[in-house]
Amino acid sequence: MTAARVRGWLLRAWVALAFAFLMLPVVVVALASLSRTSYLTVPPRGLTLHWFTQVLGDAEYVQAIGFSVLLALVATAGAVGAGVAASFALIRRRVPGGALVSALLNAPLVFPAVVVGVALLQFYAMVHLNGSFVGLALAHMVITAPYVVRAVTASLQGIDPELEHAARVLGASGPVAFFTVTLPLIRPGVAAGALFAFIVSFDNVPVSIFLLGAGQMTLPVKIFTAIEYGVDPSIAAISTMLIVLTGAGLAVAERWIGFHRFV
Amino acid sequence: MRSRSGGWLLAPALLLLLVAFVVPVGMMVPMSFRPYVPLVGITDGFTVRYYTKLLTDSYYLEIIGRTLALGFTVTLATLVIGYPVALFLARTPSRWRSWLTILVVFPLMLNLVVRTFGWIALLAQNGLVNQALRALGVVDAPVKLLFNFAGLLIAMTHIFLPFMVLVLIGAIQNIPRDVEDAARVLGASWAGTFCRVTLPLSAPGILSGSILVFVLTISALVTPRLLGGPTYQVMATLIYDEFLQRLNWPAGSAQALLLTLMVLALVYLSGRLARRTGARA
Repeated sequence: MTAARVRGWLLRAWVALAFAFLMLPVVVVALASLSRTSYLTVPPRGLTLHWFTQVLGDAEYVQAIGFSVLLALVATAGAVGAGVAASFALIRRRVPGGALVSALLNAPLVFPAVVVGVALLQFYAMVHLNGSFVGLALAHMVITAPYVVRAVTASLQGIDPELEHAARVLGASGPVAFFTVTLPLIRPGVAAGALFAFIVSFDNVPVSIFLLGAGQMTLPVKIFTAIEYGVDPSIAAISTMLIVLTGAGLAVAERWIGFHRFV
Repeated sequence: MRSRSGGWLLAPALLLLLVAFVVPVGMMVPMSFRPYVPLVGITDGFTVRYYTKLLTDSYYLEIIGRTLALGFTVTLATLVIGYPVALFLARTPSRWRSWLTILVVFPLMLNLVVRTFGWIALLAQNGLVNQALRALGVVDAPVKLLFNFAGLLIAMTHIFLPFMVLVLIGAIQNIPRDVEDAARVLGASWAGTFCRVTLPLSAPGILSGSILVFVLTISALVTPRLLGGPTYQVMATLIYDEFLQRLNWPAGSAQALLLTLMVLALVYLSGRLARRTGARA
């Protein structure tokens, strides 16, 4: 029995080390954002919130945040609309070549994002969509829709189709039955899919970087180019804001819909 | 209800995929065969020189080899680090289990540029890792951890570890506890049970997690670019430079199609392998 206890503690120690490894860069970024020095240093020398006020006073960062939020909202709306309809068709209706359609819908999940980016760069140049918001939003819908389909499909598989059938027998039309019976039941799946879509769009660099037109800038691409020019604590400050927001969002999502069930 | 056709419900998603995915990727095929003339641009004509260069020129072969080597080592590292974590999270009776799982998901949801930036602060000449190594007396001079293989390996292992853990948790949870209990009751040691029951039964998860991490690693752009700079190239950063710096779209298309082919071949082969092992079990 002692051997089992030793094994148990060894496993716990390994898990603790792995979690420390996972959290290490997060903690380092947060610490670096507090340093008084003008160069990046960990542990911080002196404590200041100067870098946070500097980032929030920087028009380029503020505009990039606004643009990223708008783009992510439009992409999420499109991905949820198309994704929920497609998931419903795949689970509840007869679809010729359903397996192929399903594989195609999920393809952007494993497809190299950089290839999607350069393919759209070329294609948009041919059809004169280059540098347009529409083109960018369509690209973001393609890469986010699979996350909606995955979460909603899982939700739909967990509910009894007879409930919707009963509504139809009692006289509800197809859309009424869907919106009053099915949709409320799969709401956690839709919410998880929408959250995924928003985060994936808000994070994206490898597609956006090829498609941004003059005057357009998303937050991650802005940080990406800022790092290429040279690192300083203001990048750590904007990163720390994203760390806090992501952590808070995830905690809310876990309490609200049990987010971990959908990953 | 299943009898009715779902065609019109699928129309928006399929149209979206067609316009912004299938057609644009398909258009890269003719593009990759067109000659690019410096100062003139993309000209009419037909050439296979971008493919022959990719597969014969030592400069490109080194980049392809490096990309694949990163794929293998990152996959192996995430598997070794991640398996015990997944085993713990799948089996712990702790009421904190779902929150611990969220802690694995958190880095995944956190902006990739932010995570990569953290590794720059850690791996730089005067970064935390070098400070710690010197304080412990392991090294005298700072170790070079940026713009080389070691830096990319460490950072990408961190970035793709959550994918491996999450896939493995699912696979391990699918193993009935009774099977392990039966092995123990019949006299197998803990190691024997693990090696001959648990590990083989989680093989489908190991396979799909490995394929996922490998594919994501060889496709990665942001981390290799920021930690490798413009000099230490992998396939994705090569494609990036070809399109945005050198503006040689035909060469970039050929490189992008080769990367795509590698990814699709791996996904296809793993699907076949999974079916074969599934049939045998």
